[in-house]
Amino acid sequence: MRRSALLLALAAAVIALIPVVAPNLFYVHLAIVTCLNVMFVLGLAVIARVGQLSMGHAGFGLLGGYVSALLAMNLGLPVPLGLLAATLAAAATAALLGWIILRLRGVYFVLVAFSFGQIVVLLALGMEDITQGANGLVNVPAPAVFGYLLNTKTAFYPLAVAAAALVGTGVWLLFRSPFGDAMAAIAENPRLTESSGVDTHVYQVVAFSIGSGIAGFAGALSTHYFQFISPDSFTFWDSVSYLTMLVVGGRVGVWGPILGAVVLTPLPELLRSTQGLQHVLYGAVLILVLLFLRDGLVGLPARLRGLRRTSAPHPILEHSPERPS
Amino acid sequence: MGLGTVVAQTIVNGLMVGMIYVLMAIGFTLVFGIMRIVNFAHGEFYMIGAFVFAIVFDSLGVPVAVSILAAVIVVGLSGVVVERAIFRPFTGDELNGMIASLGLALILQNGALLVLGPSPRSVPAIVDGTVSMAGLVFSLSRMTVIGVGAVAILALYLLVVHTQFGRAMRAVAQDPEIALVQGIRPERVYPIAFALGVALAALAGALMAPVLSVSPFIGLTPTLKAFIVVVIGGLGSIPGAVLGGLLLGLIESAAGTFLSAVVADIAQFVIVIAVVLLRPWGLLGKKEREA
Repeated sequence: MRRSALLLALAAAVIALIPVVAPNLFYVHLAIVTCLNVMFVLGLAVIARVGQLSMGHAGFGLLGGYVSALLAMNLGLPVPLGLLAATLAAAATAALLGWIILRLRGVYFVLVAFSFGQIVVLLALGMEDITQGANGLVNVPAPAVFGYLLNTKTAFYPLAVAAAALVGTGVWLLFRSPFGDAMAAIAENPRLTESSGVDTHVYQVVAFSIGSGIAGFAGALSTHYFQFISPDSFTFWDSVSYLTMLVVGGRVGVWGPILGAVVLTPLPELLRSTQGLQHVLYGAVLILVLLFLRDGLVGLPARLRGLRRTSAPHPILEHSPERPS
Repeated sequence: MGLGTVVAQTIVNGLMVGMIYVLMAIGFTLVFGIMRIVNFAHGEFYMIGAFVFAIVFDSLGVPVAVSILAAVIVVGLSGVVVERAIFRPFTGDELNGMIASLGLALILQNGALLVLGPSPRSVPAIVDGTVSMAGLVFSLSRMTVIGVGAVAILALYLLVVHTQFGRAMRAVAQDPEIALVQGIRPERVYPIAFALGVALAALAGALMAPVLSVSPFIGLTPTLKAFIVVVIGGLGSIPGAVLGGLLLGLIESAAGTFLSAVVADIAQFVIVIAVVLLRPWGLLGKKEREA
């Protein structure tokens, strides 16, 4: 317990020092993008908690981004209200979609959620009257907090950190609650959970809504940061990136998703010189982690110590028997 | 142009596009039915097939039929390798097999980007000219796509229904353990089934290369269409894939011609949701116990 408190304090210190010690603003930008990705991956982790994977995750980010941007640009709605609207719009869409498709076998969820993500991109391209098509929306307003316009990287950074911390804490509390236990039980064995009186359908729909709502929120925040959104802003390949971060970091608990985003967001920047190579490596890392490190990076210390208790491998999530921290 | 010509061309376009969707969907549903892998890399094999065809036919000047065959064989053989190297460890593990296919998609698409570059290349038409029937004029190249696709589907149907290997595949699809008891070795069936599935995607890619241009990024849309088709037609059902694919092609073509592309996109998704709500096992799929 003391060690984790120490680690948390150390992380907080590093986070606070980034804008001070960063040699240039690009590092602050990277830190902001990392915070945004942390939120996306945590959203995906909530859905993975009930044993599902959403390959339309970026689609909800795109939806949220357009909702908030259009409300701010056309109705002059303050950005915080736009963020709320984006979150609710994504969550409500997911609830409706989830209610329909989550009654079926997992593979249908995968197919339809992916199709949904693609349809959102096609609609953003096609509905030119509203979305300006492929050109996208430019000059999306930056958020203002207490009359303070956060239109520089250094000014936006604290907001991004606060938002990521808020989402992280929320997901942590969710996973620790009885509701979170029921979610994990569903991933473990849906039929057994159903027979012990848990309405698995409702839990799965709620988890999909919460996870997608987080994606909508992160997409909106990202749009106000870049002050721009286009159909290319959040595509299927972004969903693949979030999934890679989740799997590489570790699928259980909140630290795996956070670690995955923190490690994998800056990494491609180091390999930027060769177009395409970074993604080839991403794909290779994904497959290697699946083969040799199922619990992801957070499982690495236990693996190295060789202290991992032997337990029957879980068919979907590879849960460790103890409650995740 | 009279209305008759417009309608006829809409139908021919719809059937051509639909035939491509059918080839994509059959390959996808075959791999899922037998190996239980949702192959997100399916469209990347379409892309590779299109590239192999473009290089062999256009750059090397090899005859059309041989070029198509080359695309199918190259991709089929690479399918055997990929099955062994990447998917074999995930046999029976739907979720992680699917994640592995996403990694494979990243590698294939960006590998193609590294080797071949991002700019799209166009491929000359495989046949020129038109045919006229009943006073209506059709482009010969589109009719060829429809014809070749139909022959491939018929051949596959005969293979699955009337040969010993086809029976073995169906047995493994139903229950690998019971198939094993009957003397069928699933690990012999998997690589061939996977190769067959991706070879169909390569055929689709080779046929479409002259119609659309070829680039590393062309794989995703056919994957999406394959997903939509199998949900509409019924997962694991080959007749369902044929019906669903042709239907999707015709609807898309008609909505695109007479309404707008946006309406066509929305219509597809609405149909998917309607099928999932009203007939979740698909138009021609079999009702199965919920897992």
